[in-house]
Amino acid sequence: MKAKLFSREASLIFAIIMMVIIFSAIEPIYLSGGNLLDIFDQTVINGLLAIGITYAIITGGIDLSIGSIFAVVIVITGDLLVRGMNPVFAIAIGMGLGFVLGVVNGLLITKLKLQPFIATLGTMSAYRGIAYIYTGGWPVLDIPDNFRSMLAGDVVKDVPVSVIILIAFTIVSHIVLKYTKLGTYIFAIGGNEEATKLSGVNVDRTKILTYALCGVGAALAGMILLARLGSGEPATGQGYELNAIAAAAIGGASLAGGKGNMIATLLGAILLSALKVGLVVVGVDSFWQYIATGAIIVVAAYSEVIQDKFKKLRVVKNKNNNKNTNYPKSVGM
Amino acid sequence: MKDQVEKIIKFQHVSKVFPGVRALNNVSFDIQKGEIHALLGENGAGKSTLLNILHGVLTEYDGEVHLNNQIVKFKNANDAIHHGISKVHQEVSLIPELTVGQNIVLGYEPKKGMLIDNKSIHEKANEILAKLRCNFKSEDKAGTLSTGEMQMVAIAKALYHKAEVISFDEPTASLSKSETDSLFEIINELKQNGITILYVSHRLEEIFEICDRATVLRDGTFIESFHVKDVSKEQLIRKMVGRDVSSFAVRNKKGMIGEETVLEVKGLTINNVFEDISFHLKKGEILGFFGLVGSKRTDVIRTIFGAEKKSTGTILLNGNEVDIKSSQQAVKLGLGLVPENRKTQGFLKFFNNADNIALTKLEKFTKFGLISHKKKTENCETYINEINLRPANPHYLTNELSGGNQQKVVISKWLSSDASILFLDEPTKGVDVGAKAEIYRVMEGLLEKGKSIIIVSSELPEVLGMSDRIIVMREGRKVIELKNNGLNEEDVLQYAMGVTKNESQVI
Repeated sequence: MKAKLFSREASLIFAIIMMVIIFSAIEPIYLSGGNLLDIFDQTVINGLLAIGITYAIITGGIDLSIGSIFAVVIVITGDLLVRGMNPVFAIAIGMGLGFVLGVVNGLLITKLKLQPFIATLGTMSAYRGIAYIYTGGWPVLDIPDNFRSMLAGDVVKDVPVSVIILIAFTIVSHIVLKYTKLGTYIFAIGGNEEATKLSGVNVDRTKILTYALCGVGAALAGMILLARLGSGEPATGQGYELNAIAAAAIGGASLAGGKGNMIATLLGAILLSALKVGLVVVGVDSFWQYIATGAIIVVAAYSEVIQDKFKKLRVVKNKNNNKNTNYPKSVGM
Repeated sequence: MKDQVEKIIKFQHVSKVFPGVRALNNVSFDIQKGEIHALLGENGAGKSTLLNILHGVLTEYDGEVHLNNQIVKFKNANDAIHHGISKVHQEVSLIPELTVGQNIVLGYEPKKGMLIDNKSIHEKANEILAKLRCNFKSEDKAGTLSTGEMQMVAIAKALYHKAEVISFDEPTASLSKSETDSLFEIINELKQNGITILYVSHRLEEIFEICDRATVLRDGTFIESFHVKDVSKEQLIRKMVGRDVSSFAVRNKKGMIGEETVLEVKGLTINNVFEDISFHLKKGEILGFFGLVGSKRTDVIRTIFGAEKKSTGTILLNGNEVDIKSSQQAVKLGLGLVPENRKTQGFLKFFNNADNIALTKLEKFTKFGLISHKKKTENCETYINEINLRPANPHYLTNELSGGNQQKVVISKWLSSDASILFLDEPTKGVDVGAKAEIYRVMEGLLEKGKSIIIVSSELPEVLGMSDRIIVMREGRKVIELKNNGLNEEDVLQYAMGVTKNESQVI
């Protein structure tokens, strides 16, 4: 396809660079290595959740339960680790758990034909309940160090494992969307479910897998937080789904379905953390951060609207050219 | 000669271009006040485009529209209604939960202070309904009305808005004979009251029955306006079709029917929808399904394709019984469906041509789980040549193509999946004449490759021209199966309307 001058990724990178320039002009510390790493570090949790939810958003759905899946995975894997389970097994079980909880969402949406918003609103509450019941409301403490260093440590100096996990999950998800049948079907369902079904696509299975992947993203995020903090609480992760949706929306994913891009979602998450870190470094009152975040979301959404208009204009122009060559004027009356 | 007749609408040099199609080309004619004026032409001739311009649905066009000797350019459909131009749609859509009266005044409710004046709604509505001699009341729920009654509500709505011009787009398509008769009575009364009627219908008898004058469009160009009583039916058809004989559905090659029965359906039923449908399809054969609106033809083929759940009945593919529970399974078994509504069922609007065509069988382009976009593009290019797609660009969004080219993409999906049995549901609906002929040629090409086709169409010439055999359906039942040896339109239509049976019984 033709190279796009104003691709979503390019404009997000531009916005991030602008933000870095402005913040570092006000406060040069912003540009220090430690601070930039901090931005990436802060992106990890929201980034993983956002990549996961982007799958669901592209199908035209939503997953409100990711914050609760996040908590369930934290308390159950935390508990297994405290009981002395091998960290590798525990991570596998944690991811499996995220997958299964996602499959349950998918089954509710496909087999009971519930709207994704309602189905996951229900499981958001139910999964949260599971997390509380599992620990009796208490936090899980004293997570073993071997697990913590595995997920919260560095690969090499100053390159945290968690950032690598985020980048890997993004790249794999990008490949899934662009180069696999599953990814094509996810876009197809978001574009027009009926037409997709009539093309012989197993729509139900695709949707179930979509929510499963969403759950896996939440599980990864949960375990990284568990490793970082060394403890886990059943109340953790409330409201995280909204930050994830924000990152996906800034990345250009359309809540109406059919549009989205994993790299852009990741950039959206980075933009949000860059803003938050920047406001802290510059010394803006933390209450103002909410307003700034809100403004970014609105501006990003509006830029999408403008871009669409621009694209349409260009298409129309191209077509007018076509017409003049292909369809000569016939003699009128 | 000086023309004394008052002209209510004048089209002057109206042109409209859609991507890839010149829908209207410099059309100029006028409509006289108080006449019933037929707008004639084949599908794709530009009738709908012209109506959409008149009704403010399309706001960008070249040329001028005059209303009562003033140039008008409506901002939207509401604007047109305020100028006294209303439309009665092919399929009237009312809000079933609201009362008839509420539907009539919707958006323009009479108020008493800040509140809606329900009493006045029903008074006004009932007054209009009485004029139209309706035997239902403004207080009735719209959901309880029959199709014919809904149409009366639509007319009432036009009168509520003090319409001077009302256009009818295929108003009789879903009406019974008696409903049609009463509609015509009403239309004539509207005319007597000085209202101008624009009338679009495929049924030529109706044109001769109620219209005063007619205008023929062909391929977006104005052909002629004339008094209906001055022409014969044959002359009228010739004007509509023109010289372009290739647009006719004609089989160039016949006798490609093989020995094998590829599909056999026995006693297929969905309770309360259709029942006891049995037929077979041979290799290399085109089987036509014809029936009027409400005959449930589409439901039958959707059921075979696994998109609807059957109640009873068996389906055999190549002699083996199959239980098709989903479209996915149907596609795996080598079936393909070109659905009735290509925009909502046929293709994906965010997908380009290559992606749309590849969707039915992505396995073909997948290696080690990864899809090759290059192979998808190459795949598309082979079909671009085969079906003569324009613009010939795999990366063009299918949604931006003309109706005919969109349909070619939808058909290509099933060429790509190598389906052996194709169900084509209204394959040339909203397709321009040139593309129509090309679609017929693609169909013949499929037969040569040993594939079989079931075509469902409400265009009788198409079914007659293309099919080897025709199954006529009526109200969910198979009426008769006809071998297509020189059948003519009347034969088939009589069965479809149930005329033959009833009349012979009456006599």
